This record gives sequence, structure tokens and C-alpha cells, in this order.
Amino acid sequence: MKVTETTTKYRAIRIRLRPIRVAEVSLIAFFAVVTGLPLMFLVVGSFNLAAPGQSAVYGLANWVRAFNDPTTVSALWMSFFLSVARLIPAIIIAVIFAWLIARTDMPGGNAIEFFCWMAYFIPDFPLTLAWILLLDPNYGLLNTLALQLPFVHAAPFNPYSFWGIVWVHTSSGGIWFKVILLTPVFRRLGAALEEAARVAGANTTTVLRRVTVPLLSPMILAVAVLSFIRGLQSFNTELLLGTPAGIYVYSTRIYDYIHREPASYGEATALGSVFIITLGALLFLYWRYLRSKRRFTVVTGQGYSTARVRLGRWRYIALAACVSYIAMMSLLPLIFLIIGSFMRRYGFFHINSPFTLAHWKDLFGDPIFFLALKNSLLIATITACAGIALYSVAAYVLVSRRAVMAPVLEGLCWLPHILPGILLGLGILWLFLATPLRFVFYGTIWGIALALMVSDSPVTTQAFRAGYLQLGADLEEAARVAGASWGYTYRRILLPLLAPIAGAVGLMNFGGALTSISTPVLLYSHESRPLAILMLEYSVTGELERGAALGLLITALICVMMLIGRRLGLQLSGQQ
Amino acid sequence: MKTGKFEGMREVLIIIAALLWSAPALAQTKVSDKEWNSIIEAAKKEGKVVVAGSPDPVMRNEIIPKFKERYGIPVEFIAGRSSEITARIKTERGSGIYSVDVYLAGPDTTATTLYTEKMVDPLKPLLVMPEVADGAKWKLGKIWFADPEERFAVRAFSSVATFLFINTDQVKPEEMRTAKDLLNPKWRGKISTEDPTTTGSGANSAARFYHDLGEDFVRKLYIEQKTVRTRERRQMADWLARGTQPICLSCREDDVRPLIKEGFKILEIFELEDMPGSINGSPWMLTLANRAPNPKAAQLFANWILSKEGLGIYAHGFGSVSLRNDIDETNLNPGNIPKKGVKYFDDTDWKWIVTGRQEYREKVWQLLKAK
Repeated sequence: MKVTETTTKYRAIRIRLRPIRVAEVSLIAFFAVVTGLPLMFLVVGSFNLAAPGQSAVYGLANWVRAFNDPTTVSALWMSFFLSVARLIPAIIIAVIFAWLIARTDMPGGNAIEFFCWMAYFIPDFPLTLAWILLLDPNYGLLNTLALQLPFVHAAPFNPYSFWGIVWVHTSSGGIWFKVILLTPVFRRLGAALEEAARVAGANTTTVLRRVTVPLLSPMILAVAVLSFIRGLQSFNTELLLGTPAGIYVYSTRIYDYIHREPASYGEATALGSVFIITLGALLFLYWRYLRSKRRFTVVTGQGYSTARVRLGRWRYIALAACVSYIAMMSLLPLIFLIIGSFMRRYGFFHINSPFTLAHWKDLFGDPIFFLALKNSLLIATITACAGIALYSVAAYVLVSRRAVMAPVLEGLCWLPHILPGILLGLGILWLFLATPLRFVFYGTIWGIALALMVSDSPVTTQAFRAGYLQLGADLEEAARVAGASWGYTYRRILLPLLAPIAGAVGLMNFGGALTSISTPVLLYSHESRPLAILMLEYSVTGELERGAALGLLITALICVMMLIGRRLGLQLSGQQ
Repeated sequence: MKTGKFEGMREVLIIIAALLWSAPALAQTKVSDKEWNSIIEAAKKEGKVVVAGSPDPVMRNEIIPKFKERYGIPVEFIAGRSSEITARIKTERGSGIYSVDVYLAGPDTTATTLYTEKMVDPLKPLLVMPEVADGAKWKLGKIWFADPEERFAVRAFSSVATFLFINTDQVKPEEMRTAKDLLNPKWRGKISTEDPTTTGSGANSAARFYHDLGEDFVRKLYIEQKTVRTRERRQMADWLARGTQPICLSCREDDVRPLIKEGFKILEIFELEDMPGSINGSPWMLTLANRAPNPKAAQLFANWILSKEGLGIYAHGFGSVSLRNDIDETNLNPGNIPKKGVKYFDDTDWKWIVTGRQEYREKVWQLLKAK
């Protein structure tokens, strides 16, 4: 009897200490602190009506004021329509790009992928200005050229319009973000099912439509949800192109409350609640889809092959289409951006001696430039590496059938995506200051890196999750049967198989950490100031050309890292 | 009768005695060189001074290196938009962290946040550097404390603001004599402004129009004239230079003046017949944080920034007219220098900032949102 009791107790302890359970509980605790608590601070704060420094008085006035504004609802509808209008073409184009790069024998796929990465990290503000120089109805280059045609009598393009905003978004992060996330997943797709479909008589389009896309639907849907929420939150392009046309979006309203004097964070948080509801609804549908009877496993221990689809003579046509699209949507404005960084005044070609090196000299001569560069590289490296380690484990727990609190964990991982960066920064600032974390994180590069890593959680987790969903359980089981520990299996089998995804999200987070402004703006100190804050300063003070130079420099840094990262990723996954 | 006369004299004597007793408190107190040097030594021991303010190339490129060169004390500059910086500092303070020594904040932030929320210490007794405390060095005969108690917030600048800019290739100066000329149908869609539906210079201009010319004028100007709005300052200046929108209500002088130097035919208009010119205290008001971590360094920086050297760098860098009378103004735009005997509308008057402007801004927002 005694022996039986002891054995039961021993078993209970063993069950509690299983690595998956420890990881699950630790991750939930971690995310509850770093994302749940800041959100709670914000929500509670939004009900506090007392003037700063006074004792708290709670009420609904901030929420009533925010939603009583007559422009709020119209702005919300405008955001919704814009987000849908750019999501549909963008996701179709992105899927085609990712498929061509990763699943077909189109030549130059690696170069095309490189350009997609580069295009994603071109700073959106000067890029939008470049589009204005190209499309403005009065002086835009493309309009001027079009008007030379005998049958064109009025400027055909207008960036200050609904479709102008959609167009510019399609050229900036809108498509490239999706291509970057989808390409590694497409690359990992085993070819067996596609080959079977072809043997059964399906042509290439049918295989893509009926086999490839459905198999990859978890990632495509995750990217669509991420993009839709990003679309609702987007406002830089809308500020520049929408305001002159009287187009106001929902996030502009949040921005206005945040930048009021004094700032109205209560109203801003109240408006942000709409994102929570939208995300909740989308996640519900997403979970239902994933829990249906569909199967997404494409990498197993048996007969795994990544043979590519042969396009025949279409391979060169596909390449030409990709090159034309990239040239039109990214290289053209990028060339303007590069030229702009060498112009005395951006876009003014007809002034005397329009070109100069002064902005680059001023940039490198800025007393805080090199300190900011060092800080940025450290922050970006920490964010990328720690993000890969943390979120690959989080995603593993999410897809594990042994995890019992996966929905809680997933909800916490999504939370940072619903908060505008500045509100997330404010929540994390409260977290640091209200806890002993302040001694390690407040005002340091570690604190900024942690905040950026938290803000990356939805994209990174979903990317890894989609990767794990492709892996068959037999790989892990085989390792376990052979006596490998979970850590060994993770390190030697799972991570190498996920290396392309890890490389993609790591680089994306690296680049995001270099360019993110709103999250670190409340967290940096003089000693930990990153380059992005310097870019903010140039933007606020109207030093557009120097800002363009800095933006290009950051893009170049990311390109270098991308080349290094890609090499490492390929080595890890054994594709060299 | 006699008693009454004596009583009257006694009152006069009491008032004179009180004035004599309080005179040192009312005037700035200069300190001896020895005392001033002891302040410098104490500041050096503190090791640094932390200044918070708007992003500012003059601060970054000129003030910080010059102060360090002068006293060997590094300046840590926390820069950001006012709302972000104040949110951060208030949150820090809520947790018992006091990290900032000096604020160089815009007049709105100073009046509506730093002063109202009691984040500042009296500065008046600390301005003791001989050339700063000397009233003879100031145009008003003393340092101008703008706050109601006249001891917290120093206003160091007073420049005439440009009311509007026109591109004279398309708008002749004689076509823009009064504010009502802006309502000429010829200029429909040809006027740009920073978006008046959010805080900023666009809303401030609209509030001024509302205050001086009423709701009907604002409706006609911003709605019927289809005034083009933007949130990007460079966009307005570019439109002005290219003539797309040849009238600009809220362009910034530092964006437009380089264009004038390039030869673009742009004219600054400082006043209209039916609207007097205005003065403002941009780029900043000076206040001292309470519970400052480096109080002596803060005092040293505050004194130095108001000295001929410190204020001269700013006046030159920004093209703002300082209130010191020993700073060379020959390089400034004459239009920005207030003329003697002219009554200006003070756009950074404390009462106007905390009540009037906010009230009119709200009215403008209601009007434009109800459109």
C-alpha cells in the first residue's frame, strides 16, 4: 500500500515536471506578465477619469467620448474598406510570388526573394513621397509622361485617393510582408501530393489551387489575419495621401488622441478595443478552421521530396512578370529615394546644383550617430535571436496535442498585435516601472529589445506554428524511440527543418527592430537611443533628406544581414 | 481728522517697508564670482544634466557640444514629441523615478502639462549668473516669467510669426491684403493648411481665425474654400514652391526660407489689415524639473542657456528673436523682429494657451467634424 502511494506521488511529480508542461506554464506566465499586464494597465487606465496626480476616479467617460465622436464610425468603415481592398489582391499576388520562388523552377528565384526582402524594409514615409513625385496630378513624372500621349487629356493617376492609398500599400510592405512569410513555408512543402495530383491528370494551375494552397492554408490564413489587423492599424501612408483628400482612417483617430496636448490615452485605448473584438472574431474562425478535419502535414519521415514544379517555357514569362512587378512597384520609387538622399531638396530637380553629399556627411557627422548605430545593431540582434528561441518553443507548445492551455497561450501571443506601438510601449513602460524589472530593463537596450520582441510575437509565433503543422509526428517519435531527449530532438531535427522559417522571421524581426519607432520611443535613454529614434528626430524637424539617407542605410544593413542569415539558414537546413 | 492723517501715513510707511523688505525677492539675485564658481563645481560633481524636449538639430549639434566644451558636463537629451515625452515622464514620476533636470518644452506643454501638473520647481531664485540676473541685459528690463506666479517658466523668445505664405508667381501681394481675400473663389482648392482637426499649428491658426473673425469665416475658409489639409509640414512647403497650393496658412519658416534662398518667389505675410500680426515664444519655454536628480547641473544649464552665448546659439540656429538685448539680430529676418509701438496678438500668452485657444480649437473641431 505504502509502496503504491509512493509510486503514485512519484508519477504525479513526473507528470508535473514533463518538459512540455513546464514550457507551457512558463510561457503562459511570461506572456501574462509581458503582454497581459501592460494591456491590463492600459484598460484599467482608460476608465480612470481623474486628472494626473489625483486619486483615481473610475467611469466610462473616456469610452463614451471616444465613440461619440461623429468621425469615429466613418473612419472605422474607411479603415475596413481599405484593409479589405488591399488584402485581397495582395494575398493573391503574394501567394503567386511565394509559389514561383519556392515551388517552381523559375530562374532567379533567390534574387527575386532578395528583392522582396529589400522592398519590405524600404522606409514607407520617403517611399510614399517618391510615389507622390511619380503620381501627383500636377507634377508627377508618370502623369507628365502619360499626358504626352495623344489620347490622354487629363492626368490619369492621383495618389490622393482611396485607390492611390491601396496602390502605395501594395508597393510597400503590403505584399512583401506576405511573400517573406509564405516563401519558407512553400519551400518546405513536400512534393509527393503535388506529384500524385499531376499523375492523376491535374495541370499546374489545378495543383496550385486544389493541393498546394489548401495544404498551406494555415499559414496563408494566419498571414491574412495578421495583414488585415495591420491594415486596420496602418496610418503613415493614410496621413500623407488621405488627409489632403479628406480620407481619415480609424488609426488616425487613435493617433490624434495620443498626440493631443495633453495626451488622451484613455480614449486611445477605448478605440483600440475595436481591434480586440475584430481579432477575437478572426481568431475564432481561424481556430475553427484549424480544428476541422483537414490535415496540413507535408513533411514526414517517409519519401519526403521537395522537387519543384516544371514551368517549361512559362518559366521565363514568370520571371519577366516578377521582375516587371518589382521594378514597377519597388525599384522605381527606390531609385527616387536614393536620388532624393543626394538632393539638396527632395524632388526639386530644377533648382541650381540640385545634388549634394551633404545629407550623408551630416548623417555620419551627427554626434550621436555611431552610438545609435551600435545600440540598434545590439537591440536588433538580441530581438532576433531571443525571438527565435522563445517563439519557436511557444509555437511548438501551441501545436502540441499534449498542451492543455494552448488557446490561452495563443491569445496572449496575439495581444501585442492589437495595440498600436505607442500604447504597447506605454503599457510596457508601466510594467517596467511598477515592478523590479526596472533595474534591468528600464532605459536599457535590454528593455527595448524585450519590448520589440513582445511586439513581434504574433508574426513570429504564427510563422513557426505553420512550420510545425507541416512536420509529421513520426519525425519526433523516431527520435524519441532512438533515445533522443526532447532538447536534442528540438535542436537536431526540428530546428534544422524549420531553419528557413527561423531565418525569415529572425531577419524580419532584426529589420523591424532597426526601424520600429513607436515602441522604443518611451523606453530609450540617452545611452540606449537607437537609430530609429534618430530617424524620428529627423522626421519631426523636417530633415527629410537626412532621414532618407538613414532609411537607406538601415535597408542596406538589413540586406547584408539577410545575405549572412540566408547562408546560415541554408547551412543549417542542409540545403547548401 | 489728525488721527486719520497719521493712519494714512502709517499705511504708506508699512507699504514702503514691505517693498524694501521684499525687493530682493522681486528682483533677480546676482551672485559673486566665487559663489557662481561653487555652483559650477557642484554641477561638475553631479556629472551630467538631463534635458527633455522636442527633437531639435540646434540642441543636438550645437548646444550639447558647446555646453560640454564650456563646463565639461555632458548633456543627456531625451527628445520626442511633447505628448510622448510627458507621458513617459509622468509614468516615471508615478513610480517614484525622477530622471529629468530641465525641460525645454513648447509653450503648450509647459502651460497645460508641466506647470498645471506641478512637475516644475521655481526657477526664479536660481537664475543667478551675473549676465542672466542683470535686468539691463533683457529687453523688458527683467527676465520674463510667463506663468501666472511669475517664477516657474521663462519665456526667452518673442518673434513675430509669419501669418501666411504666398507664391507670388500665382498670387499677387495686392490680392492678399485682408483675411477676407482668402475667401475669394479664385483661391478655392489653392490654400493649404496643417490639418486643423488635430492639435498643432493648423488648429492654432483656425482658432485664431475663429477668435478674430467668427464661425462663419472659419466655415467659409475651411469648408467652402476646400482648403487642402495635410499632416506633413514638408508637403505644404513643397506645394507652395511648386504652386500647387500657392497660399499656405501654416507652413513653417524653417521649411520655406531655404526655398526663398533657392529663388522661389515666395512672400511671407506677417499681418493683414483685419488681423494684426502675432508674436510667439517658440521654440521653447524653460522650466526646471522638481526633484531633479542633478539640481546644480540643472541650475548651471538653465543659467547658461539664458546667457548671451546659449541664447545666441538658439536665436541664430532657429532664426528666433530672443528677449536678450545683447544678441546680434542682424542675421534675422527683419519681419520677425517686433516693431516698437505695434500691438501684437500674443499667441503664447499663458491665458490664451490654457483657456482661449483650447476653447476655440474645440469649436473649430466641432464645426469641421459636423461638416
